[in-house]
Amino acid sequence: MNLVQFYAEHSGEVLGLIGQHLYLVAISTSVAIAVGLPVGIALTRRPRWRGPVLGLANVVQTIPSLALFGFLIPLPLIGGIGARTAVVALVLYGLLPIVRNTYTGITGVDPAVREAGRGMGMTDRQLLLMVDLPLALGVILAGVRIATVVNVGTATIAAAIGAGGLGVYIFRGVAMVNDALILAGALPAALMALAADGLLGLAERRLAWRPK
Amino acid sequence: MRGGRADGRTGGRWLAVAGTALLLAAACGRRDRVVVGAKNFTESDLLAEIVAQQIERRTHLPVERRLHLGGTFVCHEAITSGRIALYVEYTGTAYTAVLKRPPPPIAGAESVYATVVRDYAQRFGLVWGKPFGFDNTFAITVRRRDAERYGLRRISDLARVAPRWKAGFGYEFLERADGFRGLARAYGLAFAAPPTAMDLGLTYRALADGNVDVIAGNSTDGQIEALDLVALEDDRHYFPPYQAAPVMRAGLLRLHPAIGPALDELAGKISDADMRRLNAEADVRHRDIATLARDWLHAALP
Repeated sequence: MNLVQFYAEHSGEVLGLIGQHLYLVAISTSVAIAVGLPVGIALTRRPRWRGPVLGLANVVQTIPSLALFGFLIPLPLIGGIGARTAVVALVLYGLLPIVRNTYTGITGVDPAVREAGRGMGMTDRQLLLMVDLPLALGVILAGVRIATVVNVGTATIAAAIGAGGLGVYIFRGVAMVNDALILAGALPAALMALAADGLLGLAERRLAWRPK
Repeated sequence: MRGGRADGRTGGRWLAVAGTALLLAAACGRRDRVVVGAKNFTESDLLAEIVAQQIERRTHLPVERRLHLGGTFVCHEAITSGRIALYVEYTGTAYTAVLKRPPPPIAGAESVYATVVRDYAQRFGLVWGKPFGFDNTFAITVRRRDAERYGLRRISDLARVAPRWKAGFGYEFLERADGFRGLARAYGLAFAAPPTAMDLGLTYRALADGNVDVIAGNSTDGQIEALDLVALEDDRHYFPPYQAAPVMRAGLLRLHPAIGPALDELAGKISDADMRRLNAEADVRHRDIATLARDWLHAALP
């Protein structure tokens, strides 16, 4: 079956699956940022927690995605079969790059600059918002970029647990030994990953502070 | 320095020699190794294990197991390309899904079997063994309390509640010729939303947890009873008969003629009740399938 013809005949379904895929990635990445950024900042204030927290995030990253989905299914509230479990798993995967890059970005800020800020009478809060975060923004955005691109790929596997998304075509294609169907899911997913990478790369270059 | 490099080169040569030897050994070993495949659900794994152990017992040939390969089409691809030599298939699945024949008129199991035997030999060079005895049809399954509350006994009763219900199926059932689309047409089922697609093994859990309201299981599955579910009667005879039987490459029987009689011993030996009990032992009590297969073989065919 021709791919173009397939898309023409199933345009509604394709758009629906792309929408579900975007939803999975957008929600999970937003939550990962909302949780990961404060955690990363907290780690710079409590360096003792650095080892255990980053270690835990590293361990989560090493769990194969299908296994992680499997582990989550029996859990009350966050588990079950469907999009919710998938979002929880994707948040866990997205946390490590965001936490690590927030921590690395802030600790990488030149101590002399912080001293200067301190000398100008800045409070801790002002120092964070006006010095640390703006200077670390490039590194933090690089972390968000990694998390997003990885989640676009991992979200395809969520179709195994009934979360929908472009993985539906991939799983159907694998079940039917139909390459065109696999491609129908894999191609838009790959394009979505490239687009996310490009857009966030652009944001990174635009927003990151660079010495003039 | 030079010595080190020479050592490195000799090491490389040895590695190449050892590698070639290994490959040759593997290639030689593979000739009389019987590769048995299975589909990606418990019953298929169990039957493959029974077949594998029966071949080992009667012919003493080494048997390699490639269990849980994938769905029907993955196994069909594997056997036609020679990656596996044997797997257990169901007549109705072969008839409608693989051969893509229109559903048979309320047909006897024999005529479906005769057709697949003939067509598989002609089109794929594959040989069907004798059926094991049981029939494993799709079981359109709901929760018992829903069945009682809405008075559901047959699949046609489902049409009344379908507009408010959610269905969940494995990927293969959504695509197959004898799958969801035909079922919905035959019974006039219009669900609230398109069915949720998920891994086949998760459908029972999704039903028991209330994520979906109706699934397509197998009539011989142990979970139906264990999870307090009810299989609805196929009152319009949408599904063809699904007798389980081994499918083999013709070359396998030419190379090892003893395999034929060994598998014939299994003909008619596994009843619906046997299969349901074995599946329940594996899925509900989580017993090892190799042990289950051995125990069953010793009891049924000493």
